Amino acid sequence: MAGDKSKKIKISMRQALSLLLPYIRERVMIQIRSVWLIILYLIFFQTIILRIAIFEASVIAIGIGLVVVGLTLFMEGLFLGLMRLGSIVGSGLPRKSPVAVVLGFGLLLGFLATLAEPSIQVLQMAGNSVKPWDAPLLFILLNKYSHYLVYSVGAGVGMAVSLGMLRFYYNISLKPFIYFLVGSLVLITAWASFDANMKDIIGLAWDCGAVTTGPVTVPLVLALGIGISRMVGSAESGAGGFGVVTLASLLPVVAVMGLGVFFNESVPRPMSEEDFFKTDNRSRIAVLFPNQDQMIRYVFMKAGPQAQLSFFGENSEEMEKYLKDLSTSESKRKAVFGEDAAKRELDIRELTQRNFIAAVKAISLLAIPILLVFFLLIRETLPYPDEIFLGIILCVLGLAVFGIGIELGLDKLGTQIGSKLPASFKAIPLPEENKTIMNFDPDSVHVATAPDGKKHPFFFFEKDGKIVTIPYNPSDYDQVAGQYRYTPVKGPLFGSGTSLPGILIVILFAFIMGYGATLAEPALNALGVTVEELTAGTFKKNLLMQAVAAGVGTGIAVGVTKIVLSIPIVWLLVPPYIILLLVTALSTEEFVNIGWDSAGVTTGPITVPLVLAMGIGIGSQVGVVEGFGILASASVYPILSVLLLGLHINRKRKAAVMEASLDDHQRGKEAA
Amino acid sequence: MKIDNMVSRITAYLHSNISKDVINALKEVGIHDLHLFPARSLVIETKNRLFSFLPGRDLTQDPLDTLFFLVKPEMEDLLVRLIIEKGHLDVPGRGSILVEDVNVLESHELCGENEIQPVEASPLSVHLYSSTGICCIMKRGQGDSVARIALDTGTCVPAIHFGTGTGVRDKMGLLRITIPAEKEIVHVFTAPHESDSILEMMIDAGRLGQPGSGFIYTFPIKKCLVNMRITRDEQHHAASIEQIVTALDHIKGNTAWRHRRAMDEKRAVRKKKYIMNLVELVLLCDGGTGMELVKAAMSAGAGGATISGLKNIRPPDSPLCDISPARDACSMVVPEEMKEAVVYALKTAGAFTDRCHGQVIMRRTSKAFTYVG
Repeated sequence: MAGDKSKKIKISMRQALSLLLPYIRERVMIQIRSVWLIILYLIFFQTIILRIAIFEASVIAIGIGLVVVGLTLFMEGLFLGLMRLGSIVGSGLPRKSPVAVVLGFGLLLGFLATLAEPSIQVLQMAGNSVKPWDAPLLFILLNKYSHYLVYSVGAGVGMAVSLGMLRFYYNISLKPFIYFLVGSLVLITAWASFDANMKDIIGLAWDCGAVTTGPVTVPLVLALGIGISRMVGSAESGAGGFGVVTLASLLPVVAVMGLGVFFNESVPRPMSEEDFFKTDNRSRIAVLFPNQDQMIRYVFMKAGPQAQLSFFGENSEEMEKYLKDLSTSESKRKAVFGEDAAKRELDIRELTQRNFIAAVKAISLLAIPILLVFFLLIRETLPYPDEIFLGIILCVLGLAVFGIGIELGLDKLGTQIGSKLPASFKAIPLPEENKTIMNFDPDSVHVATAPDGKKHPFFFFEKDGKIVTIPYNPSDYDQVAGQYRYTPVKGPLFGSGTSLPGILIVILFAFIMGYGATLAEPALNALGVTVEELTAGTFKKNLLMQAVAAGVGTGIAVGVTKIVLSIPIVWLLVPPYIILLLVTALSTEEFVNIGWDSAGVTTGPITVPLVLAMGIGIGSQVGVVEGFGILASASVYPILSVLLLGLHINRKRKAAVMEASLDDHQRGKEAA
Repeated sequence: MKIDNMVSRITAYLHSNISKDVINALKEVGIHDLHLFPARSLVIETKNRLFSFLPGRDLTQDPLDTLFFLVKPEMEDLLVRLIIEKGHLDVPGRGSILVEDVNVLESHELCGENEIQPVEASPLSVHLYSSTGICCIMKRGQGDSVARIALDTGTCVPAIHFGTGTGVRDKMGLLRITIPAEKEIVHVFTAPHESDSILEMMIDAGRLGQPGSGFIYTFPIKKCLVNMRITRDEQHHAASIEQIVTALDHIKGNTAWRHRRAMDEKRAVRKKKYIMNLVELVLLCDGGTGMELVKAAMSAGAGGATISGLKNIRPPDSPLCDISPARDACSMVVPEEMKEAVVYALKTAGAFTDRCHGQVIMRRTSKAFTYVG
């Protein structure tokens, strides 16, 4: 090493800058190119089509800037550090350790990856609106037993990584795994749809599969797999190194379904809200909550007044007594409601701290075991250690900045649009634009009569120099202060009722959003680079990304259709997967591996919040139990699109060789 | 095996749909040490309708399997005939095959040239001719623009593969991350009389005269059959131009008749300074060990290296089966007088022990070009 140092070229500050600046500019441009579509599109849609001003626009702009910076740092860190480390360990481990150690390592890594990826918490957010009386099993899995949910998903991913490595050792095709897993999942799903409790966790289970494989896990597992498969695979194995992601998106679904079956017997059936809280039902619903206090808290915070009364055995005096008790005793109040958590203010320090801790956790949970394996089991000199450590640091920094940016920018933008989107087919209130009218005179209210004789009170209001009519709602009038609180209403875009063009706009929006968000996904970028690398540039990254993005767009559009039209989720999953099994049977091993893997990587940190925000927004306006299922649907169609692309490419390749040689034609005929 | 002896290196670039047949045939006749790596070919295909307005999209990539192995010179004819027969390479559009004279400078005892039992192979329906190979190493992403020269001049279907480069970037400290290590390597095969013009056109296309942009060199090919099917566009004649050229080559028995004047006129405006007397040393070693061995070679004076991953293919009874099928090919171009020093440095670093199972093959280059000071 000393000899190397003496030969080191002296580089002046100016030269260093002239090298660094173009380098940085190029990387930033790549990320800008990958996110501009989705961001411009979101802004365009909200301001031009829905004609609603963007709330907190400056914060969102800063957030988007942070997303670009974070992505740039993170991707560079991935390529410099994590992926390189993965492939070094992948190619080193089989040389130094027996199969069992490699498989055990895979199991552990998969489990840790699930703990590291924050996406699973996003699912819990999606389940916030789940009511325990509508879907008790789903409720318990997302709340009281959420740690079991995470563990079972982790076990699924661990099994997947381990099985994937085993595949490389024995050169087993991915197809039988797909047939078996998808086949049985289709059957389980179909069965579950007939069970009152199980039918509600179908969406959760499939979404878990889609969500677990995030931007840290996928590149690392890919690099590891490629390293291992290169060292142990036989010469004939095509597309070696892929397939782990596929298993990691299927096995967690099995695990969550299993978890559901396990707890299914111990939870009550779905029932009406009042029945649920009846006193004689108390012992049965108690299992759904961690303790008595939590249950009471839920009653007061989420249940309706009728249910609250029912909780106290239709005895309002008892309820009042209890409330009085609560207001006098501080300790009791704390036990029920917890610390006052109503911190609405944007706290930059808290935000930064939280995201940095999450990033450090996500990277170190994966990087430390890998480094340990390298130094303890492989014990070789690490090539370019400075680059690898720089890469890891960049990954942490990038992930943190990216997280902050997502929270400040994309999340906010997504939630705004998600909640406003239904305005294209129905009228929705806009609470951010609340106006208070001073000195409101109730005498100025007029009455309009509808053809059916119904009376609609309204009043005239001057807004920006124009006189508009506003429906009058007596409950919004504050007699004491003489003020009227008015919440503007928006939509629908076409006609007055729920209209087909309005719904079509929502579906089109969903498609383009899915398409744009997918192009920005870091894990897909990493997969694209890997595929291009392994095929020596035959399968270009762009082609793969376009195919996947189109597939995701289609899937999200279908998922949104499901929510708007309230189609049961079985119809969304079972038929496409059956078609997929057929197409898989027709495809070559190479494309089966790439296609199924790309499905797992599509739903990452950019798509998930946008899709969930939209799902919840539409779901809450249309009134469905949960916004699950869109993500699962977004995973089916990209597989289909990549496999179809593969079939097309293979046909062309065959034709090219056939055209060149008549002999082959003859041989083909003989074979037939 | 004997050190520093002359052997034949046979390299076949095959469309990956047909490579399996050829590999099986080679295994059958007793080739027990064969290397394979993925590459891509580039052909012109004018896109119709919707895609036609996109610029630079008239190229189609096809996957190639590149296989190479060493044999005793007296066996080369037989094997070449076998490959051409099994792969139907006599028809343009399926692949290329080349035979070169190389020297094995040093080798682990397990890695040697292949010996085969004499087998029946049909006489050739095509003529093999000597030619010049051009190899160009440059930054990832620029391969197509340089390879295009071969298509635009109707020379051959180029083959492109990937590698990782080391060199100047290793002497720059952490700033080296600004120079991507990922390289693209283009191979083009031309008639000897045209090679200079094509070389210069490729230098211009890749702007290799600028610092840090790449490296290009030519090497002699003893005999070859090159895939000439450079386009997949519709054919409006009874025979395609490739079929006609192949037929005339066969009748004339050489490629000299293809001499064209326009090429001479296109020769570069500025005279370029070529580097002579270089040799390319290819170190084949176990996967994962290439990087550290190259470092040893560089401390002995090698300027840099390009490392590509290979797969070793052998029948299940081969003695090589104990070592991993993953191999690294490290290509270093050095002045001829430096070769002993580099080989010695590799030896001291343990390249030819049981840890790395190394083998160094030397290929002579005719001329080379890169940015010099």
